[in-house]
Amino acid sequence: MIMQRKFKHLFAGVIVLLLVVAGKSLLAQGASDLKFNEILVHNESNFIDEYGQRSGWIEIVNSSYSKVNIGGCFLTDDKNNPKKYWIATNSPETLIQPRGFVLFFADNQPSRGVFHMNFELTEGKTIYLFDANGKSVLDELQIPTGQKPNVSYARISIDSNEWALHEQTTPRSDNDHSRHATAGEKFVQHDPAGVGMVVVAMSVVFLALAILFLVYLAIGKLFTKKKKTVPSSEAKEEDEGMQLSGEINAAITMALHLHLEEQHDYEDTVLTIKKVARSYSPWSSKIYTLRKNPRI
Amino acid sequence: MDTSFFDFIIEHLGQFLSFTAFANLTVGHIIMICVGLLFIYLAIAKEFEPMLLIPIGFGILVGNIAFSPGFKIGIYETGSVLNYLYFGVAQGVYPPLIFLGIGAMTDFSALISNPKLILIGAAAQFGIFGAYCIALALGFSPTEAGAIGIIGGADGPTAIFISSKLAPDLMGAIAISAYSYMALVPVIQPPIMRLLTSKRERVIRMKPPRAVSKNEKLIFAISGMLLTTFIVPSGLPLLGMLFFGNLLKESGVTRRLADTAKGPLIDIVTILLGLTVGASTQATTFLTWKSIGIFFLGALSFVIATTVGVLFVKFINLFLKEGNKINPLIGNAGVSAVPDSARVSQVIGLEYDKTNYLLMHAMGPNVAGVIGSAIAAGILLSFLM
Repeated sequence: MIMQRKFKHLFAGVIVLLLVVAGKSLLAQGASDLKFNEILVHNESNFIDEYGQRSGWIEIVNSSYSKVNIGGCFLTDDKNNPKKYWIATNSPETLIQPRGFVLFFADNQPSRGVFHMNFELTEGKTIYLFDANGKSVLDELQIPTGQKPNVSYARISIDSNEWALHEQTTPRSDNDHSRHATAGEKFVQHDPAGVGMVVVAMSVVFLALAILFLVYLAIGKLFTKKKKTVPSSEAKEEDEGMQLSGEINAAITMALHLHLEEQHDYEDTVLTIKKVARSYSPWSSKIYTLRKNPRI
Repeated sequence: MDTSFFDFIIEHLGQFLSFTAFANLTVGHIIMICVGLLFIYLAIAKEFEPMLLIPIGFGILVGNIAFSPGFKIGIYETGSVLNYLYFGVAQGVYPPLIFLGIGAMTDFSALISNPKLILIGAAAQFGIFGAYCIALALGFSPTEAGAIGIIGGADGPTAIFISSKLAPDLMGAIAISAYSYMALVPVIQPPIMRLLTSKRERVIRMKPPRAVSKNEKLIFAISGMLLTTFIVPSGLPLLGMLFFGNLLKESGVTRRLADTAKGPLIDIVTILLGLTVGASTQATTFLTWKSIGIFFLGALSFVIATTVGVLFVKFINLFLKEGNKINPLIGNAGVSAVPDSARVSQVIGLEYDKTNYLLMHAMGPNVAGVIGSAIAAGILLSFLM
């Protein structure tokens, strides 16, 4: 009885633990992965919105590897008014792709669509991204003073917490330009002649096949040992006497084959599609159709 | 009324004539049609890999019928029938299916009975990476160099699989180059083998391979897949299918599946693969200096692979006792042109000793080469993609 109770407690504990872990992982894949990635306060000759206007903008990134919907969250530049700008929930465009970006225009024109906020960016102020409950701060960023026109303030890369001024703005894309180089290009930067590739790749090929070699060597020994465990000396003598090489076996097989071929008699039956004189044949009879199961 | 009708007919006849291949023909198309005819000739008259060269050769003819674009005819036109068939090449679907069939028809007994032959298959992969270095030096991009290098693996499906991932634009040239040199293995390899071996080495007799039990073959199929793909997971599509096909064969209880894999399935895929690869060599995209460079590097990679394979056997022999030595004439079989390169070992071996049959011994490095080139392909994908 006590054991049963203990087991129940243990089971309940495991369930709670699983729920906590699952909840945490679900949360990890949600809005908590959203964060500010780049801002431009003074837009004089930079990105143009769909109305042909230039305004300051905020870029938010989904740093997770699953889709996240930003709909329902809030953006504000006033901590006492966390629900200043509500991001509409019914837009398919608010679903951000894994490691994807979304741009909000700080043009104080909310009637222009989901991505046009009801405030403008001001140097020295702090901007906040609030969760859908309007209480949890997902991310915050103080806009440094002295912002130059068309120069953005951005993270060095998605996963970095370091920010810097970027003369070359990257709206709706990764701020780290070096990441655009392919793996191959990066590899060649370090190994222009390809010698490193030859050494590493050949080592891996040899390693893989050497492991196979060792495994089969061991397996082969295991199997040949098994075969050799014939205890009696008589059997051994008999076995030695009977041991034939592959060539001899092949020669015996060929001789037997030729012998049997010689014994084969030639039949004089002719297979023809011409009509035979005798019209009836069991082969053409309807009662012997394929539907009829043969009697055994 | 009559005049206008006549004009109408003339106008449409003119339009029809502008759509014909005669009106759109270029010198490039004529050259490629000649190449296609040469492939068909080599396949029928010389019997060089007819199963591959006839579909590819005819595919080259199909791909080089000059047409007016916009009618969903060409292999590169979205929505055309040929484009749908080409999907299997472009997305790397066909090569793993071919590997399934190869697995179902390959007997790994020679390899299992003499596991040291596996290492020859590894050494011959040097052709891939040697060609990679030279391609880099000639100015090809890293991904292109990797795709070109894989020609040295002498494995058509692997070459197509890798080029579809690393350099899709060069896939036609790479595939044609790989299959052409595979067909020319009996021409390329013998001079190198003769050059690098002494008369005494060519007549080395190897111990006949021991009989391998069914259980050993089963263990090979499963452990081979696990070991190789644990090391190089990016080779999984090829290695997984190769060993799966082999398990179907060796299990003895899935004979029908094995028969399908090594019979109708591989035949169907070979037809589709050969035809579409051939058709992908449209003169407009194929006849470039890069293609010529690829052909040159392809030949070079075969030469390097053969050379290193033979030299590696000679190197191993330094450590082996008399009686256990390996005939270096099987070193060429490390390139995975199955079974052509093994057949070359046999033919050259018989030239010097009429009773020395090397075929079964050469099959060991030959199938190890298939595994080795799939592993090398996985490494290239991991590093360059």
